Amino acid sequence: MFIAVRDLVHAKGRFLLMGFVIALVAYLMTFLSGLSTGLISNNVSGLMALPVSHFVFMADDRPTFRSSLVDRSMWEGWAGQPGVRRSTPIGHTTFNGRGSANEPLEFVLWGLTPGSYLDPPVAEGRPLGATENGVVISRLLAQRGVKIGDTITLDRVLTELEVIGITSDERNYEHAPIVYAPLAKWQEATYGPPGGAPPGEKLPAVVYEYCSAIALDLDPGLTPAQIAAVDEELGTTTLTMAQSFATSPAYEVEVFTVAAIQAFLVVTSAVLVGAFFLIWTIQRTSEIGLVKALGASNGYLLRDSLGQALLLMVAGIAVGIALALATGLAIQAFAAAGFPFQSDPASAAMSGGLLMLAGLVGGAVSIRLITSVDPIIALGRDR
Amino acid sequence: MTLHIDDVSLVLGDGDQKITALDHVSLRVDAGQLVAVVGPSGSGKSSLLACVGGLRRPTSGHIRLDGTDLAALGPEQLTTLRRDRIGFVFQQSNLVPSLTAVDQLLLTVHLRGRRPGAADREKARGLLRDVGMDHRENRRPAELSGGERQRVGIARALMSDPALMLVDEPTSMLDHTRGRQVIELLARECHQRRVATVMVTHDPAMLESVDRVVSIVDGRLSETPGAGHAAH
Repeated sequence: MFIAVRDLVHAKGRFLLMGFVIALVAYLMTFLSGLSTGLISNNVSGLMALPVSHFVFMADDRPTFRSSLVDRSMWEGWAGQPGVRRSTPIGHTTFNGRGSANEPLEFVLWGLTPGSYLDPPVAEGRPLGATENGVVISRLLAQRGVKIGDTITLDRVLTELEVIGITSDERNYEHAPIVYAPLAKWQEATYGPPGGAPPGEKLPAVVYEYCSAIALDLDPGLTPAQIAAVDEELGTTTLTMAQSFATSPAYEVEVFTVAAIQAFLVVTSAVLVGAFFLIWTIQRTSEIGLVKALGASNGYLLRDSLGQALLLMVAGIAVGIALALATGLAIQAFAAAGFPFQSDPASAAMSGGLLMLAGLVGGAVSIRLITSVDPIIALGRDR
Repeated sequence: MTLHIDDVSLVLGDGDQKITALDHVSLRVDAGQLVAVVGPSGSGKSSLLACVGGLRRPTSGHIRLDGTDLAALGPEQLTTLRRDRIGFVFQQSNLVPSLTAVDQLLLTVHLRGRRPGAADREKARGLLRDVGMDHRENRRPAELSGGERQRVGIARALMSDPALMLVDEPTSMLDHTRGRQVIELLARECHQRRVATVMVTHDPAMLESVDRVVSIVDGRLSETPGAGHAAH
């Protein structure tokens, strides 16, 4: 890289410009992966946080928590299957409600059996089940001003819930914070009459026979065929944790959009770097001919040239990623709660690797150009 | 150290476009001898240099450098031969734009797969001193005049202790005085270092210090009596 390094210094303006472009692309790539991670987390953190391997819905080609209706025979049926380590029914309804100051709140109400393996970890206050109408709210809702002791009133059904705890982590579904209620309270709010049971009366028992889905912790040894057999028998559809992310309508679109932008960026930078080195090589044609006439092999010149591309890429990408990670930290420190960005060094490194690969593919375009230069051009054009 | 050019012909193009660039050329150049090949534009001078330098294969005939027949060498071996045995001085010197004068010389060490050491640096500086360029060793080509570039080019050609030096129109961009100085320098180095040297030029002036002058016209070589100091 004797010539390559001296070229970098000699033509520093051009290389700085190109390095700057590469750094910007790397910056954007890293920022996008942070956004992607943040969006996914903002969307389905309430699922990701659970020690669940599968969710069971009612039989459906595209099941969702919203539309699924699971009855007691299903959740008890699943609980008794071999290979099911833990299992619990969950209720899921999107609600609008009002806080203590009559402020509007939008959230997902989850019903969980207190004491089940999905009990939300509580950082402040009391755990789920401490009172009959006590709910544990996602930290995000607390950041929006809801406090322990506040009352949340559900619109339409007018059920009053008392905030008794706040989760230690952020728990969202479909970008809305989750409010955890005891399963029975959830069932009354979802299937019971507005205002709850008339004074002195009980709701009919059928209200307590339904929920939305079942959270399973399955033995990893269980084959998909075995799971499908149980589904067939009980009339359910089982999704893995990862598959269940797609039950949130926005999830697939968000992931696809960010991935598509990143893919285009990778291709763009391959073309960009390719074009740069192509022009650079064409400009150097007479120099390459000269060095060949002096006795340089193709191998020597290719090592020199690809080494130069590598050096430029590494420097540009490192600067871009460093700046993006710094921006990420700044965003996490100063941006409003719930801003969907999560600094993610692992995927930043992966984007960097992808860009590097794209750069080398681009740089490789000049290989043919370099090998095809005839050293005779070093002599005068006269025959 | 001798160059033998033996009955070399070079035909370029094909069909009606055939051009005989070299027509049964024979020439012998001994170590320490500077031979000038003089001819007008298009006479075949550059073709002669290209063939002798292993950049183009003759259609027929043989070129031997110290007994090595260039025709027997493959492309990679020719590249190695150029690197190790032949020193080129190109038109307008043809230096690498990003390298300083001393780096131009050290590049030839690099091309042989070695990192230049202290001895190489010392040798490069010595050569630049010999051609009167030691005070400009850290300048890049853009900062040098045409004559200075040509001097660096000569020093570079000598860096690998070549058996043969091939010089292409060394004076084409220089005025008369500077051109004469460059040719005197070439003659001195050629004699001192015992390098067989072939110089092609279209300019029949300033050839007082060369040992022998041959003319080339339409690819045919002929001795020019009375020119060069071998004839004196």
